[in-house]
Amino acid sequence: MTADEIRAYLEPRRHEFADPRSLVMPALKYAQTTRGHLSREDLDAVAEATGFTPSFVESVASFYDRLYTQPVGNRVVSVCITLSCMLRGSDEVWDHLCEKEGIDHHHGGTSADGRITIQEAQCLGYCDKAPCIQVDADETLGPFTPDSAAALVDELRAAPDPEEYWR
Amino acid sequence: MADYAPVDLTAENLVSFELNGEKVQAPAGTMLVDACHALGVEVPIFCYEPRIGPPVGACRMCLVEVEGMRGLQTACSTPVQPDMVVRTTSELATQGQESVLELLLANHPLDCPVCDKGGECPLQDRTFRFGPGKSRFHESKRHFLKPVELSSRIALDRERCISCFRCVRFSQEVAQDGQLTMQERGGRSEIATFSGDAYEARFTGNIIDVCPVGALTSIPYRFVARPWDVTNTPSVCGLCPVGCNTELTLREGVVRRVSGRDEPNYAVEEGWLCDVGRWAYDSADHTGRLHRAVVRDANGARETNMADALSAATLVLQRADGPVGILLGPAATVEEAAIALDLAGGALRGAVVARLGIPAGPLAPLRATRRAEMGDIDDAQTVIVVGGDPSLQQPVVELRLRKAALRRGARIVTVGSRRTGLADVAEHVDAAPGALHAAISDIAARIAASAEPVVLWDEAELAAEPAAADALATAIAANGAARQIELGQDPNGAGLRALGIPATGLRDALAAGRLGALITVHADPRSAPGRDAWDAALGDVPVVSVATHVDATTDRATVVLPSLTLWEQEGTLVSMTGRAQRVRRGADGPDGAAPGWEILIALGHYLGAPPAYRTPGAAFAAAAKAHPGLGGLTYDDMGTLGAPLPPPAADHLAGDAGESVAAGSAGLALVAVRDVHAGRAAQGSEALLAFHAPAAARVSAATAERARLTDGATARISSPHGEATLPVRVAPGLPDDAVFVALGTPGAAPESLLGPDRGPVRVELRP
Amino acid sequence: MPIMNNVYRQRAAEKPLVTLDDYRAAGGYTALPKALADVEPDDLQYVFMRSGLRGRGGAGFPMGKKASFLPKDSKKAKYVVCNADESEPGTFKDRDIMAFNPFQLLEGITLAGYAIGAERGYIYIRGEYEHQARVLDDAVRQARAAGLLGEGILKSTLNFDITVYRGAGAYICGEETALLESLEGKRGQPRLKPPFPAVAGLYQSPTLINNVETLAALPPIVENGADWYAALGPEKSPGSKVFSISGHVMRPGNYEIVLGETTLRELIFVHAGGLRPGRRVKAVWVGGSSVPVLGEGHLDTPLDYESIQAAGSALGSGGCIVMDDSGCIVRASLRLATFYRHESCGKCSPCREGTTWLEKLLMRMIAGEARMEDLEMMETLFGRISGKTLCPLAEGAVAPIKSALNMFRDDFVRVVENGSPRPEPMMAGA
Ligand SMILES: Cc1cc2nc3c(=O)[nH]c(=O)nc-3n(C[C@H](O)[C@H](O)[C@H](O)COP(=O)(O)O)c2cc1C
Ligand code: SF4
Ligand code: FES
Repeated sequence: MTADEIRAYLEPRRHEFADPRSLVMPALKYAQTTRGHLSREDLDAVAEATGFTPSFVESVASFYDRLYTQPVGNRVVSVCITLSCMLRGSDEVWDHLCEKEGIDHHHGGTSADGRITIQEAQCLGYCDKAPCIQVDADETLGPFTPDSAAALVDELRAAPDPEEYWR
Repeated sequence: MADYAPVDLTAENLVSFELNGEKVQAPAGTMLVDACHALGVEVPIFCYEPRIGPPVGACRMCLVEVEGMRGLQTACSTPVQPDMVVRTTSELATQGQESVLELLLANHPLDCPVCDKGGECPLQDRTFRFGPGKSRFHESKRHFLKPVELSSRIALDRERCISCFRCVRFSQEVAQDGQLTMQERGGRSEIATFSGDAYEARFTGNIIDVCPVGALTSIPYRFVARPWDVTNTPSVCGLCPVGCNTELTLREGVVRRVSGRDEPNYAVEEGWLCDVGRWAYDSADHTGRLHRAVVRDANGARETNMADALSAATLVLQRADGPVGILLGPAATVEEAAIALDLAGGALRGAVVARLGIPAGPLAPLRATRRAEMGDIDDAQTVIVVGGDPSLQQPVVELRLRKAALRRGARIVTVGSRRTGLADVAEHVDAAPGALHAAISDIAARIAASAEPVVLWDEAELAAEPAAADALATAIAANGAARQIELGQDPNGAGLRALGIPATGLRDALAAGRLGALITVHADPRSAPGRDAWDAALGDVPVVSVATHVDATTDRATVVLPSLTLWEQEGTLVSMTGRAQRVRRGADGPDGAAPGWEILIALGHYLGAPPAYRTPGAAFAAAAKAHPGLGGLTYDDMGTLGAPLPPPAADHLAGDAGESVAAGSAGLALVAVRDVHAGRAAQGSEALLAFHAPAAARVSAATAERARLTDGATARISSPHGEATLPVRVAPGLPDDAVFVALGTPGAAPESLLGPDRGPVRVELRP
Repeated sequence: MPIMNNVYRQRAAEKPLVTLDDYRAAGGYTALPKALADVEPDDLQYVFMRSGLRGRGGAGFPMGKKASFLPKDSKKAKYVVCNADESEPGTFKDRDIMAFNPFQLLEGITLAGYAIGAERGYIYIRGEYEHQARVLDDAVRQARAAGLLGEGILKSTLNFDITVYRGAGAYICGEETALLESLEGKRGQPRLKPPFPAVAGLYQSPTLINNVETLAALPPIVENGADWYAALGPEKSPGSKVFSISGHVMRPGNYEIVLGETTLRELIFVHAGGLRPGRRVKAVWVGGSSVPVLGEGHLDTPLDYESIQAAGSALGSGGCIVMDDSGCIVRASLRLATFYRHESCGKCSPCREGTTWLEKLLMRMIAGEARMEDLEMMETLFGRISGKTLCPLAEGAVAPIKSALNMFRDDFVRVVENGSPRPEPMMAGA
C-alpha cells in the first residue's frame, strides 16, 4: 500500500485525535488489508503517512498479535486455546487441524499451499461457544468439533479470497 | 554510565526524612535512588538513567519499602517527601531486590567469563551484592543467534539483554534518531532497528555506555581486553572544541577504547560522546603516522632518531636568516603554546608566534559578552543558533539542544543558509550564505523578546561578517540576561587566544621575507585554508615540523620531529565555552615519537637556553603566572572536570584582524564547514568506515544544472585565492548559488579556495 | 444471546437493539435529555456516586468517586475512555452489551462525558471484536445523524462525540494505562502510576476510564435515580452484574443477576444448567482467570464483591469458568500460565521473566519431568513475582495458580509423580 492511500484513508479520522500518533494503529490495520500482512514497504508507507520513523511503526506493529510483520496464509484461522475452550476440546480441534494441514503442533503455521494459516489464539471472548474459532476478524464461531473445524477450513480453502484482509 | 543524578545536599530546599533508621536530608522532589546514592546508601538500579529521561520503572530493581505505602515502591520513581520513612535494607526490600535479580538472571546466559562486560558489569556487580546467591532456574534459556551486528561498530548479544530500555530510550529521547526500538512483546521482546537495518547515526556509541549488561559492545573492543588488565584514564577529546570529557581504556600502552565517563561532566558533554570522538582513536595509528624523525637535505629525506633530528633542527634555527616563526595548530595544547612563547622570549628571542585559525579581532566584542556553559542550555527557554551546523561541527551540542527542546519545551531557532541536523526540532530562519547580516535584526528582536536566551554563534560565519558579529554582540549585551556560546572551529582555539596568540602576522612576515625559518607545531599551513597563500609565503624558508602524521607541510619540511597525539600526551585544552581541561596521557605512541611539549623543551636545551621547567604541569604553572588569560589556574584547580577561564576582555586580541579580500559579488557563495565526520581522524579510522566518504562539493540541483554539472561529475572550482577540483554532489535542502565543502578531508583541497584569514569567498563552478 | 434480567434487560429484549428507533422504542435515550435539561454536571457526578455503582472491569472501584478525581480547574481537554478490550479469559459480557445494545453504551458514555466536561469519548475495543466494532460504528453514525452526538446535542450546549478505536490483539491493553498508550498509537505497555489517568491520562489530559458494563449502567441510573440502583442488592455492592459463565456447564452464556441475591451454586446449577450428569464441581474461577480459584466448598457464596472476597477470591470481571472433576487442575493452571506469558507486555522484568518461568515449570510437571522440590520452588517463585511488578497482570497469573497449589496440593503432587495425561474434554453436543 502507498503512503498516499494511507493518507487518504486517515484523512477523515484525523480530527478525532489530538495527537497524530493515534493514527498509527488504524493506519497499520488498513495497510495490512492489501497483502494480509505488513511488508517492509507497507511499514515504510505507514511511517511516511504518519510522520513517525519506520522503526517506531514496526515496533508498534510487532507488539500486537493481529498485526503480521511476516507473511501469513490467505485466511488466518485462530483457534482459541485458553481455559474455557480447552475444557471444551480446543486441543483436539487444534491437533486435528494441524495434522490435516501438515502444520507444526507447537507453533502453528501456514499450509504448504499458502492458503491457510492456523494459529493459537488466547481467549477470544466466545467462551460460551467453546471451542471457538475466528477466521481473520470475522465474527467468531463455535462450538466446533475436530470434524466441523476441518470442514470450515475446507470451505475457506474453496472460497474466493476476500477483497480486503481485515485481521 | 551515570547511574545516579547528582544531588546537591547543600541546597536550600532540603527536607528531612528517615532512611534505614537514620534522620537524613535531601532536596524535596529528588528521586529516592539519587538521594540515597548521595547519602551513601546504594539502591541498585538497571533501567533508571537520569540523563535519558524520566524514570520508566521497568526493571523493578530499585524496590524499597516506604512506610505507609502498600508493598514495595520503585525508588527510581518515588520522590523524596518530608518525613517519609524509607527502608532499603529491610527484609521486605531485600526480598524484593533478590527476587528481581533472580528473575533477571533466569534468562541470562551467565557467560561472564567470555563477556566483554565481565568485570565492569552492573548486572554482575549487583548480583554479587544484592542477589539471592544461587539461581534455581533449571529451565532451558532462550537462545538467539550469537552476536549480531547492530552496525559496523556495535555488536548486540540478545541473550544478555535484560530489556531495560535504556538503549531504546537513548535513541528515541536523547539522540532522537528514532532508529532503535523494542520489538515483539513479552519474553520475546528484543531491541531492533527497522527490518534489521544497520543502526547508523551520529551518537550511536552511547548505547554501549548505558547498557548495564554485556548486550551491547563495541566491535573494535570485542575480546581485546579484560577489565583487570586495562587501566582507565580520564581525558578530553581533542577533535572539536566542545571538549567532551572521556575515559581512555588502555592496555599494553595502546588506547583500546574511548568512552563517556562514569562521572560525566555535566557542564560539558554530560557523559555523551559523538561517534567520531568515541571511535576515531584508531586513526592515531593509521597510515601516515610518523614513527621516526626525518631530516631532509639536498640528497633527499632520511629517517633518523629524535636526538639527531633535534640537532639538525637546532642547526636550521641557528642558521636562520632572520627571526624564526612559530606556527601553532588548532589543537596545539596550552602547554605547547606556552613553551613556544617562552622560546620566543628566550632561545629564539624575537620569534613571531601565531596560530593557524580565524583572526580574533572581529569577534572580540562578541566574545566579551556574557558566556554560558553547555549546561546552561538545559534551562534555556529560547536557544538561537546563528550560523553553522553544530551537528557536524560540535556534535554533542546537538544533544543538549534536543534535550532542551524535548524535555523542557525550549524553543530552538536556527539561523543560516541551510537546515541543520536540528531541522526536526528547530524553527529555521533563512539567511543566504554570507548574509547573516540580513537576518540580524530578526535575531536581535528575538533576543530582546526572550527571557534568558542562549545564543550559539558560529565562529567562522560571524568572523566572515564583522558587522553582523558586532550587531549580535550589541543585541546580546542589550538583554541583560542573554548569554552566548561560541561554536568554535578549533579544539584549542580558546586556549591559544587566552595566551594572546594571534592568527595573523606570521604569514605576512614570511611573505615579506622577514623570517628565516618556521617551526610548525601540529600545524599544516600547506593544507590549511589559504594554503596557496601559505605556500607562496613559505617559499623555501626552512621548516621544522612537530607533527604526528605525514602532511603537506612535513612532506617538505627540513626537519620533522614526530610527536605524540592527544590520545598519547599530557596537556590542556580550552573548550569553546572557555573551560580549561586536562588531556591525560593514554597510549604510549610510537617509540620514536615524543610529546610535543617535550620536543619544544628539548629544542630550548639544544638551543642553549632551556625553559625553567621540565614537565607540562610546571610549564602550565609558569604560563598561568605569565598570562592573565589563564586566570592563575593550576592543574589542581582543573581537577578531572576542568575549570573555566576568565572571560576575555573586549579589547583582547582586538588587533588580530586579518586582511580581508573582497569577495566580489559574482559567482557562488562558498560555505566551508569543518565537519568532524569528514576530518582526518574520522576518515582515517577503520572503526568509522560508515562515515568514510570522498570529499565533494555539495550544491543544490538548480546550481548544478546551471553549471552544467550532474551528480558525481568533477567540477573545477576557482576563487580569488586558488583552485580546487572536486566531485559534485547534488544534495537536497541546500540554497541555490552556493557551494558547500568540508574542510580537513585528507586528499581534498577545497582549502585552496579560501583566504588564509577566512572572510567571505565567492567561487566559479565549471565542468 | 440476549442478556437476561434487570438493568440491561430493559433495553435488550428479544432482538438486538441496533437501530435507534428500536432503542428508543425500548425506552432508550430518555436519560440523556433528562440530564441535559435538569441536572448540572457536578450533580450528575453526585448521582453516579450515590448509586454506589462499582466498576465492572475488574477492580470494582466506585465509578462516581473515580469521576470526582478529575481536576475541575484543568484547562486541558478531558476525555472519557470506554474500556471495551474485554480479553479476560472467560469474560464475554461486554461483547453482548455492545452487539445487542450499542446505544445504551453510547448514551452512558455521553452522560459520563457531560458529567466530567469532556468533548470526546473513545471506545477502545479489542481488535477481535470487529463485528461489535462495526455495530458500534453504525450506532455512532445513527446517533450523530439524530443529533445525539456531535455539536449541540439535543439542542443543548453539549458538544460530544465518540470514536470507536480498534485494538489489534493484546490482553494488556485492557489495563488502563496500557490502553491509553495503545490509544496514543504506541506499544500497549503500562505506565508508571502516579500520575493516574484521572489527572494525566490520554495525551496527558484528565481522563475517565470505565468498563463497558459500568458505562452502560448509567442511563438506567439517571432515569430511575441513584436510590433505585443503590437499593438493588447489598449496600456495598449494589446493582446488577452480568456474569459470563463457561467451561463444564450445560448452558454457558451471559446472565445478569442482582448482586448478593444469587449464589455461585445458583449461577452454575440454575442459570447455566448445571454440569454433565455424574460430574461434580472441581474448580471455579469466578471473576475471570486472574482471581484465586474456588472449589466445591465455596458454591454457596453469594455473588457480590464482599462475599466473594471473604471466600478468598474476587468478583473481578464476572467471567466465571467452571471445571468439573474430569479436569486436571495442573493442566488448567498451565493453560493460564501460558496465557499470561503470552500476554505479558515485556516491560517489567518480574512479569516478563516470571511468567516465562512459571510456564516452563508447569510444562515440566505435566510432562512428568518435575521433582518434588519444584513445588517449593514454584511457591517461592510466586513470592518473587508478587508485589514486584509494574502493573497487576502478573498478579493475575500468580493468583489462580498459587491458590490452586494451596487448594489442590494433592493433585500437584500426583502430577509431579506421574505427569498428567490429557483428559477427555467436554465436547460440543455432550
Ligand atoms: C491486565 C489487566 C487487564 C485488564 N483488562 C480489562 C478489560 O479487558 N476490560 C476492562 O474493562 N478492564 C480491564 N482491566 C481493568 C482496567 O485496568 C480498569 O481498572 C478498568 O477499565 C476500569 O473500569 P471500571 O472501573 O469501570 O471497572 C484490566 C486490568 C488489568 C491489570
Ligand atoms: S541491550 Fe542493554 S541497554 Fe538495551 S535494553 Fe538490553 S540490557 Fe538494556
Ligand atoms: S531502576 Fe527503578 S525500576 Fe528500574
